[in-house]
Amino acid sequence: MEKALQMYEAFAGSSTIRQLRMLGRRLEGKRIVQVNSTREGGGVAEILAWMVPLMRDLGIDASWEVISGAQDFYAVTKAIHNGLQGFPVSISQKGWATYHATNTANAETLRPSLEDADIVVIHDPQPAPLLQLCEGRRGKWVWRAHIDISHPYLPVWKTLRPIVKGYDASIFSMPQFALPLPHPQYLIAPSIDPLSEKNRDLPAEELEAVRAEFGLDPARPLLVQISRFDRFKDPLGVIDAYRLVKRVQPVQLVLAGGGATDDPEGAEVLEEVMAAAKGDPDIHVLLLPPDAHRTVNALQRLADVVIQKSLREGFGLTVTEGLWKGKPVIGGNAGGIRRQIVDYHTGFLVSTPEGAAHRIRFLLYHREKMKAMGEKAREFVRENFLLTRHLREYFILFHSILSGSNEPRIYV
Amino acid sequence: MKPFVVMDCVLLTRMSGLPEAASLRELRERLAVCGENVLYHHFYETLLRPSFDYPDYHNDFAVWAKLQLADQVLAERFGVLDPYAFASMEELRGVMLDIVDDRLNSLPYAPSVAKGAEFYFFEATTVVFDTDVRICAPEELASAIVRMTTGSIFFHFIEARRREPLAVDDFSAWLVQFGDKGSAFIEALRTIDFSFLTLAELRDEIHSQLTAPGI
Repeated sequence: MEKALQMYEAFAGSSTIRQLRMLGRRLEGKRIVQVNSTREGGGVAEILAWMVPLMRDLGIDASWEVISGAQDFYAVTKAIHNGLQGFPVSISQKGWATYHATNTANAETLRPSLEDADIVVIHDPQPAPLLQLCEGRRGKWVWRAHIDISHPYLPVWKTLRPIVKGYDASIFSMPQFALPLPHPQYLIAPSIDPLSEKNRDLPAEELEAVRAEFGLDPARPLLVQISRFDRFKDPLGVIDAYRLVKRVQPVQLVLAGGGATDDPEGAEVLEEVMAAAKGDPDIHVLLLPPDAHRTVNALQRLADVVIQKSLREGFGLTVTEGLWKGKPVIGGNAGGIRRQIVDYHTGFLVSTPEGAAHRIRFLLYHREKMKAMGEKAREFVRENFLLTRHLREYFILFHSILSGSNEPRIYV
Repeated sequence: MKPFVVMDCVLLTRMSGLPEAASLRELRERLAVCGENVLYHHFYETLLRPSFDYPDYHNDFAVWAKLQLADQVLAERFGVLDPYAFASMEELRGVMLDIVDDRLNSLPYAPSVAKGAEFYFFEATTVVFDTDVRICAPEELASAIVRMTTGSIFFHFIEARRREPLAVDDFSAWLVQFGDKGSAFIEALRTIDFSFLTLAELRDEIHSQLTAPGI
């Protein structure tokens, strides 16, 4: 069943829903196509999975296309991704050729749909060259960068910049992620869907079943980090933090994540994590299938403290998910996490495993404070990071670029 | 009698194109050249952002001075500025520059911030639209207010003061046509000091003033 906007009234309030209907009505019939590189796994796919149906519910002719490629394409785009986040990578001429050839092949299939659209939103660098490959385009094209590209590895940015500068606008999650581009750069933070399998309320029996399935001890505190097995998520740092806490508290740790189809590096990092966890029965390393949303949901709800100790992060949806479940989150003082966690109010920002351990111990000791922070955390998400706010901002952007006006105020 | 047309507005922030400021001297340089929309956004539109708790100051410059620059004196001087007391954005800009110059002259160094704590200059695109709601009589205003979004409250009660007739909210401007009947409501609205209210609180306050005994 496709989701309908009305279903969100209980979370967002009736005036918010009315406002979205008003904005959406004025976009009725517009053809809006969004393109990314994976249907499952990762935050972008999750966002598109709710956004496109809700746009349709409002009468917008919205669709979602996914480009496909061979393993060598994903290896290159992973390197581009890492390079944009500042990691020194080497991409050969052949690699860039693969990148362009795969996009050219995808353009053959997608061209009619993309060239006919009123607005095309291209997510992240993987499908970015499609703009240049659709010369007959009639609509406006927007590049949506989900990652922090503020300090890119320059050889990668020098190759990518000419590709993205041709867009009519770009979207970044935070100002700190952006680099100067010759078009309007909008700021839109991602969000979560409170009705998704990953975020909806779960019955207590289901939580207990998950606890039993993974052999978690209900009598001891549980620390949980949910994320891909990616070096930027610092799973090894989380293990270090856990070990520091375990000296004084009998805690358990779950490191759980899936592998996205466009992330070939995951297996390598998973091996490193397994090696680091070897011999400790209280570290549970779980490689979950991409559709294990309810399991992830249950693990976050079972957690005493949710951790997202990323070293680099665009916008960690798992942080928002943890906050929504009423848990204080200990997050790496990096990227979008700085905006998601209000330090000392909804969780703590940390820079080292030692810092994480210190805050975990604080929360486990001050249970009442932990509860109060968790309550604040949920309200903070309700105000700032639910999909209704996200959808509204996309609508403003669409109205703005369709108007063709650069005026600060647009009457629609 | 003309009905009151209830509008709503929503806002999307975008980069202004100016480089971020990492010191008070850089802030001064950017303030001198930034567009009026940038000043407007950082002074007026902050209310449209959901706030976590009561901010000490309503304009972003004062908040940055306090939290990032750690300059309490500057924060207080910025913080007390009432943007509605200025006839134009240029006048406001002039006062801002005077404050910064005065501060730079009184300090032995130009304060700066750590990486990641720079001031980013934004502007906003605001979309304004008709909600299809009409209010035909002053007595209907209070009940209509409680159903309005915070965007409508901002547009009609705060942002309106920058439109003709200047310094007057839209509700009061509309109530004038009802003569004595409207005057009582206008007087009630005039008592509201919105400087320290969130938009949701302002909505409640307007409602409570319009339904107070004797109105």
